[in-house]
Amino acid sequence: MAARAGNDVLRVLAWPGYAEPEVVAEFERRHGCRVEVSEIDSDATLWQRVRERNGADFDVFAVNTAELQRYLRANLALPLNPTMLPLLSRQEDRFRDLSALPGIARNGQRWAVPFAWAEMGLIHDRRRCPEPPDSIHALWDPRWRGQVLAYNGGTHNFSLAAQALGWPDPFQIADSQWLPAVNKLIALRRNVSGFYTQPEEAVRLFRQRQAAIMFANYGTQQLHLLRAAGVDAGYVIPREGALAWLDCWVMARGARNTALAHAWINHLLDQPASDLLRQRQGLNNTTTTTGGGVSPQGGGRLIWLAPVESEDRRSRLWSRIFSGDNATKVLGT
Amino acid sequence: MRLRISFKLAILLALVGALAAGLTGFYAYEASRKLQLNSARTELLTSTQMLARRITLMQGEITRNLQMLTRHPVALATLQQGHPSDADQVATLFDGVMTANPAYLQVRLISADGHGMERVRLDRIGSLAVRLLGDDLQEKGHFPYVADALRLPLGGTWLSRISINHETGTYAGLEQPLLQLAMPVMDAQGAARGVVVINVDLNGLFGLLAADLPGSYQLYLANGAGDVLIHPDATQTFGFDRGRRVLLQSEFPETVSLFTGQAAPVLIDRSEALPGRPPQVAAFIPQSIESPDNDNRLVIGLAQPLSFVMARSDEVGSAIVRIVLGLCALSAALAVLVSRAVSRPINAVTEAARRFEAGEAAGELPVGRQDEIGSLARSFQKMQTRIAQQLLDLKDKQDQLEHLSHHDTLTDLPNRRLFSDRLAQALAYARRNGEEVTVLFLDLDDFKRINDEFGHEAGDLLLQGLARRLQAQMREVDTVARLGGDEFVVLLGTPAHPVHAGQIAEKLMALIGEPVESPMGQLQVGVSVGISQYPRDGETADQIMANADRAMYAAKKVAGSSYRFAADTPPRSAAD
Repeated sequence: MAARAGNDVLRVLAWPGYAEPEVVAEFERRHGCRVEVSEIDSDATLWQRVRERNGADFDVFAVNTAELQRYLRANLALPLNPTMLPLLSRQEDRFRDLSALPGIARNGQRWAVPFAWAEMGLIHDRRRCPEPPDSIHALWDPRWRGQVLAYNGGTHNFSLAAQALGWPDPFQIADSQWLPAVNKLIALRRNVSGFYTQPEEAVRLFRQRQAAIMFANYGTQQLHLLRAAGVDAGYVIPREGALAWLDCWVMARGARNTALAHAWINHLLDQPASDLLRQRQGLNNTTTTTGGGVSPQGGGRLIWLAPVESEDRRSRLWSRIFSGDNATKVLGT
Repeated sequence: MRLRISFKLAILLALVGALAAGLTGFYAYEASRKLQLNSARTELLTSTQMLARRITLMQGEITRNLQMLTRHPVALATLQQGHPSDADQVATLFDGVMTANPAYLQVRLISADGHGMERVRLDRIGSLAVRLLGDDLQEKGHFPYVADALRLPLGGTWLSRISINHETGTYAGLEQPLLQLAMPVMDAQGAARGVVVINVDLNGLFGLLAADLPGSYQLYLANGAGDVLIHPDATQTFGFDRGRRVLLQSEFPETVSLFTGQAAPVLIDRSEALPGRPPQVAAFIPQSIESPDNDNRLVIGLAQPLSFVMARSDEVGSAIVRIVLGLCALSAALAVLVSRAVSRPINAVTEAARRFEAGEAAGELPVGRQDEIGSLARSFQKMQTRIAQQLLDLKDKQDQLEHLSHHDTLTDLPNRRLFSDRLAQALAYARRNGEEVTVLFLDLDDFKRINDEFGHEAGDLLLQGLARRLQAQMREVDTVARLGGDEFVVLLGTPAHPVHAGQIAEKLMALIGEPVESPMGQLQVGVSVGISQYPRDGETADQIMANADRAMYAAKKVAGSSYRFAADTPPRSAAD
């Protein structure tokens, strides 16, 4: 091993907090190589950097399941060899059942390894709303009119509306379904006190408007912030299930040393990396059972984000709904 | 040598002058830079404070407009009864306000019911305020300017977070930086029935506020958290709107204190360029506003590129450079004059020494000066006079020695040496011109007797008396010499016939025969004269002299004074 020292370089493209210095140092020590970590902070940047030279600039990168599909379609990834990833056995069952995870298996091969995730549950003020809301319908409940906070974003809100309407695939809205979806979101608009964009903004609004229920786009991160701000907040995964994003490690098409890339992914499934992810980023890992102080009520499942039929359309329509237009105007040209 | 001293002196003086001028210029420039920087900072700070006061005034003005609109009875009537004519009246009111305030993009009356339905809405399209109706009116209940403003007491103003406007259906200011102000409309029971909202174009507003500031000033605005709202580089503004916050305190770490509650202005002086940032001076001050959405604070800043500030001091600098160059030229000219003034008298002394050395008249010396050079000249003149006197004395001594070496000390007559010279010259002259030379040899008779009878002193007196007499009586061209003892010789300066020579011999005998008066009484001697002539009696001086001597001896054999020609005297050997 020592003989290889300095010869190999592993190029990692990841989100902040994924490749922590001690994790990198340990990997370099064990494999006698050097690791170059590049960080990105948006899906757009990630797509641009991987696609720039057809995936030749990196060996491994981290991408969420909704985004993964276009990388596979563009042939920017290499299939993984599970026998070189012995620590897959550490993962929870739900992350080992490839059929339950969108787009990880394709053509009979495995293309990604789940690593970090967060779900979008419901937060409630336990004093104003002592009964945990077990359904997303609580957001539309007239009892809480003017005491609801929702997220200002088209893609997730349409998925939320689809869930509320009981549609099986919240990520695919058919042409005939747009009107009811828009009406559902206008009804949401009329029930909320306001929409937020940032976690901090949500905390401020929550206290200012004396909110009772909030759609937690940032999941448990918001729960921690609210509790830190003195709100007696609870967290629920509704029975319809919570939308959740799931970041996976993928081997880039231009990987120079596939064995080292496999070793990296395997290394990140180990205890230290998984623990740091939860401790420092407040994100869930795939190897230990959820918890760490927050035990969501309600037994809802997680609905991993998948590509939607049209992000553009969702955003366009949402911006009109948000601005206060009626359904006719929203769906007009 | 002369050139070098004055040259060196001139160079030295010019250098000293240039150095003094240069140093003065440098420090003057430094001082002017500091002054410029200070005055630029003061100006910036003053302008920033003025801007902050204007913001307060502007906010007060918008608040007064809101009060006027919310308290107008027709606003409440529109919300309560909804008569179209009331709404029209409100629209007219709004139109007037928007016309008077070009930075107002939108003025609306929004009802508390109907999910915050807009009742009257005027948007600015171009320079016109246009009223929107029907489906264009939107529900705004979920916006903070409705939700929060409805909770305010009578006359309370709600101020929005300054952000980018994403509300579609807005005809003016979409995707533009926006500031919204809202005030509730109360009914008689004190219940909020709606709100009046004014949208203000942030850039237009600050453009107006900063319109009279110098063009080189760059305007900065940040909210209470530090998010940059106005920046010379538009890409740095409203970073939070694109999911990437850009904070003022990242670019200007010195401003951190402003966001933690400090009220004192922050002055920034970046003399060194940072990567990607030009050197600049800047002033930032906090401005409290009642707006939790903006963290109750705005930070206003003005900056100016250092190059601009320094442009003025560069002008001063170039003026200083011109002055310094002028002073250098002046000091060079002065140095030449001074070095000349100093070297000229030195040169005069040197010239005088040179002339003195060459034996010429010393020329004028600057002896009148009352300085070192004057005293040098005076010393030199004294020395010159003394040397001249000593030379003169030396010359006298030389002349005396010369005289002594050619004259007899007792009688002062030419001695044998001088006589031989003259005889040789005369012979040479005669030989060339075929002339004759006559020599008369005189030997006193009985001189020994005088010495014996009257003493040597008397003898000397006699010799002196006779010498004077001979000298006085003979022609100047003739040479009378004393050969020693009582022997005299006379060389005639002109050719003489033997007869004439005999006459001269007789005259000589008479002269000598005359007694000489002395304290010892009359002294008298006789004389024997021998005459020889060239070429008859010999070719050489020795021959002539020997023959004259022989002739004299022949004459001596005769008693009493007599003379004899050598030619008439048989050779000595034959005679004796």
